[in-house]
This record gives sequence, C-alpha cells and structure tokens, in this order.
Amino acid sequence: MFDTPGIAEAMQSYVLETAPVLALRLDANQRVTAANAQARQILRSGAVGRPLAEQIVDFTHSFELSALINQGSTAVHRLTLSTASGMPETLCFRFFPLPDGTLALGSLDLKEQQQLRDEVLGLNRELNDLSRLLHQANAELRELNQVKNRFIGMAAHDLRKPVGVIMTYSEFVLDEAGDRLDDEQRGFLRTSLAAAVGMKRLIDNFLDVSVIESGQLRVERSRTDVGQIVEGVLPLVRLLAARKKIELHTEAGDDNRPLLVDVAKLQQVLGNLLGNAIEHSKPGQRVWLTAHRDDAELVFSVRDQGPGIAPEDQTKLFAPFARAGTRKTAGERSVGLGLAIARLVVAAHGGRLWVESVPGLGSTFFVSLPIAPGGDHA
Amino acid sequence: MSQVFSSEDVYRRYLDGLLSNNRQQCRECFEQWLAADAELGTLYENLVQRSLYEVGDLWERGRISVATEHLATAINESLLNLTYPRLFAQARIGKTAVIASTANEYHQLGAKMVADIFELHGWRGYFLGANTPLRDLLDLIREKGPDAVALSLTVYFNLDSLLQTAVAIRSEFPTVPILVGGQAFRWGGRDRVEGLPEVRCLASLSDLEAWLKDERNHV
Repeated sequence: MFDTPGIAEAMQSYVLETAPVLALRLDANQRVTAANAQARQILRSGAVGRPLAEQIVDFTHSFELSALINQGSTAVHRLTLSTASGMPETLCFRFFPLPDGTLALGSLDLKEQQQLRDEVLGLNRELNDLSRLLHQANAELRELNQVKNRFIGMAAHDLRKPVGVIMTYSEFVLDEAGDRLDDEQRGFLRTSLAAAVGMKRLIDNFLDVSVIESGQLRVERSRTDVGQIVEGVLPLVRLLAARKKIELHTEAGDDNRPLLVDVAKLQQVLGNLLGNAIEHSKPGQRVWLTAHRDDAELVFSVRDQGPGIAPEDQTKLFAPFARAGTRKTAGERSVGLGLAIARLVVAAHGGRLWVESVPGLGSTFFVSLPIAPGGDHA
Repeated sequence: MSQVFSSEDVYRRYLDGLLSNNRQQCRECFEQWLAADAELGTLYENLVQRSLYEVGDLWERGRISVATEHLATAINESLLNLTYPRLFAQARIGKTAVIASTANEYHQLGAKMVADIFELHGWRGYFLGANTPLRDLLDLIREKGPDAVALSLTVYFNLDSLLQTAVAIRSEFPTVPILVGGQAFRWGGRDRVEGLPEVRCLASLSDLEAWLKDERNHV
C-alpha cells in the first residue's frame, strides 16, 4: 500500500518539515548530527552537535543511552528532554539503527496530553465555581451583617430609655430619700445604679458598633485645640482614677493651636484609652496622657504601668469582642468593643490607633491624626 | 486626549486574544469594557456570549482546534470573576433561582452566565456546575425553595436528558417556573420543552433579562 513511488519521499518531507515528531540523527558516539524542524524548535539552541545524553534530564546518574539503543527499534523509551522554553518535556522515543549511527524518533503521548488538558480545564472550572461561591457567600454575609446591625441598633435604642429611667430614679431616691434608708437598702440602690450605668455603657457601645458598621458614622468636625480636648476628657476618668488611687498625669494641656476634629468622638476615644489604662493599673501606679504635634500629625499617647500585653494579644486587641489575656486589676467588666470602636472612629478621621507594649513594663496606646497642609484639619 | 471606547474594537481585540490564547490581552479588554460600560448585562451579551458563539462557530467550521475552543471558554469563565464584586453587590429583591446544566452536559459557562444575570437583577442565583446529577439538583431545589429554575443546554444531543430533568422537577414542584435555554436550541427542540406546563424557552441572555424585568413588574 505504501510502496507506491513518491510515498517515502512525501513521508520524509512531512517528518522533516511539519510533523509534531522529533527526528534526530545520531552518530556512532550518539552525538546529534541533524534535527528536523520540530526538534530544532523544541530543543535548546546548540542541540545539534552535542551528545543526546547531555540533553536528557536524568536524576539517577546511571543513565546509559547505549543500553536503550541496543534494545532495538521496537522498544519505546520515555525520556525527558531539556527544552528551549526552560520546561522539561517528556517524549516517547524509539531508536532505529543506521549503518553509521542511530535515528531517534520521539513524540508526545497524546493521551497523556489530553488527560492533562482536561484536568487543567476541570481545575480551572472548579476554581472559578468556588470563587463565585465565595463572592456569593460574602455578599450574603454582608446582608446578614446589615440585618444584625439593624437589630442591634433597634434593640439598643429601645433599651436605652428604660435603663436611663432606672438610673435617674435610683439617683433620685439616693439623693432625696437616702437618709431615710438603712445601709443595706442604700447598698441595694447603689448596686442597681452601678449595674444600670454598666448596662448603659454596653448599650452605647452596641449603638456605636451598629452605626459604624452600617457606614453611618458621621464625623462632625468643629474648631478646637488640644487643650480643650484634654480638659473635656479628664473629668470622664478622674473619679475612676481617684477610686483606684491611680495618679493621672497630662503633658498636653498647653497646646492651643487650632484643630478641626469631632471633639465628642475624639474625647470618647481618649476616655476609653484612659479608662482601660486605669482599669489595668494597680493602686499607686501612674497613667500619662500626652500630646505631640508637628506639621504633619498630632499624636496622643496614653501610657500605663500595668502588666503590659503579650505580642500575640496585641494583634487581635482591636477586633470586636476581643479581650487581651491581661485582667483588669479590680475585676472590671468589659465586652471588648471599646478599642474596636476607638480604632474605627480614629480611622474615620483619617488617623491610626496602635499599641506598643512590653509584658511587665506597661502599655502605650497611640492615636495619630493627620494635620492638613492648612494646619488645622486633623 | 482620552481614548474613545469602541465596543467593536475592544470586542475584536478580545476575540483575537481568545483565539491566540492570550489571556493578558483578553483581561485588558475585559477591564476596559468593565470600566467603560456601566451595564454588566451588555458586557455578558456583547463581549462574553458573542465571543463564545463566534469561537464555537469557528470550531464548527474547522478554523480552530478544540484545544483553542476550550481555552477560550476557560479564559472567558475566569474573567467573569472580575464582575463579581459588582454583580453580587446588587440590591436584593428577595427572590432566588436555581440554575444548572443537566446530566451529561459538560458545558457549564452558559448556565453560570444565566445565574449571574439573575444576580444582576437582584435575585440570588444558585449555580450548580457541569453535569449536575438530577438528585443533587432536586436536593438544592428542596433546600432553596427557588422562585424559578433555569436549565442550560449547549449540546443538542442532550435534549432528552434536559426533558427528563424538567419532567422530574415538574412532578415534585408543580408550580415553580422552569426556564430553559442555551446554544443547543439553535438546532430546534423548543416545541418539545415548551410542551411541558410552566416551561419557557428563552433564546438569549437578553430574552432572560426581559423575562426578569417582566417578573419584577409583576411583584
């Protein structure tokens, strides 16, 4: 069938110029003396003239090309070649003896290539499907988070009023009728009042979280200065410090250059940091509030002499409901929202909040607010 | 002077990238379209669907290899990821759809694009991948209780499988609308699926968009 004149020439031409087959002629020393078009394209430059064995990737260090050639032309050998692309390529070779050397013919395993392609495409599909699921799940979680925020916001809003009533009437009874009560009854009322104050703080935190997370936090800037901010924040914590016999120091009160910030929210942040510092300190220890301003930024810092925070706790300190491994010294309660809220408020000002702490040597929290080129926009 | 966006030019460059396996060129075109065109629906129809159909035609006419056709599909599918941050951020209307390719149907991109068009119109579009076993599909329908089920068919010879799926869904869920569509219906079969109660055949993504708008008006 294939002995018709012209067929051999056609096949030879096809193999040499077009076919996806590597054809290499080797001399008696297995040096490549000629290569077809496909081989010249795939093999590294300079392949012709070099021994074929040097172009074969071999990790066994016992590779013997002669042994394969001597097995004759019916044996198929899977060999991996270094290629011009830098990627090794595995081909199935057969070696045909010639009077003065060997003809090596190699081809790709098509079945293996097809399997590989199908696997890669299948993996790509799976990856894309998972990516879609991930985006969809994220969208659903965002929706659920919004529902949660609305729920917390509504619940906190509705709870705030009755708690306020409990506080007002407890204070009223203690003020107006305290002298007609015995010690035990006054103790009950004070406990109720303290519990209501704690509950109000918790509710306020929940409201803050729901407002911030729903993207409704508004920074209402007004003109002020560092001195006014510090003056406003100290009364919030002075009583707490006095009760725990903590010395409160400020190195910030004399800077009256103008600033444009949300005073109430910044005081809330500093009050929270000072409150934490006091609650983590022992009687007789000191807490410092300092402010430093240059042309680019205003940095407040709150330093304590408390137990410090372990490095592994420092990274998670600002996440909602996170609690450091350290304990407050008088067993004060916390749900772990204060720092999360503080960081979001500072971020809304375009600033940063971070901590530096060494266990056993206390902690310092920093609030950095950028100063606009105009000078007063923090 | 800013360059004027020409959807035809970008489409031609995108197609050229698909046919030469140039993923980077395709990505640039896709991003250019995303940046220029506010409507994701037109991107799906005029860039992705159009290129898929043209690549399919070229393969059928023997102008490109099956490997190139597969790679073009893979590039298109992976680039859809770029739309997801916008797609899934659409306001929800409280409706869900389950979308699947039927058993033996290994082409899934059409079904995925249908699921995405549902998302674009505020539905949740739950997508099951290629060759979905009927049992898995019925399980998901039970779990999600969808307002519509959409079945995609690319290969005409799988029409019987799609019909069996539609009948099985209809027998367990008598009222849920079933939508069918896909490239396979270019060869016919529309009358066979529309013979079933509450089954609609939608020829293109724009037909699906029209159906979704119509549904919204009926809410």
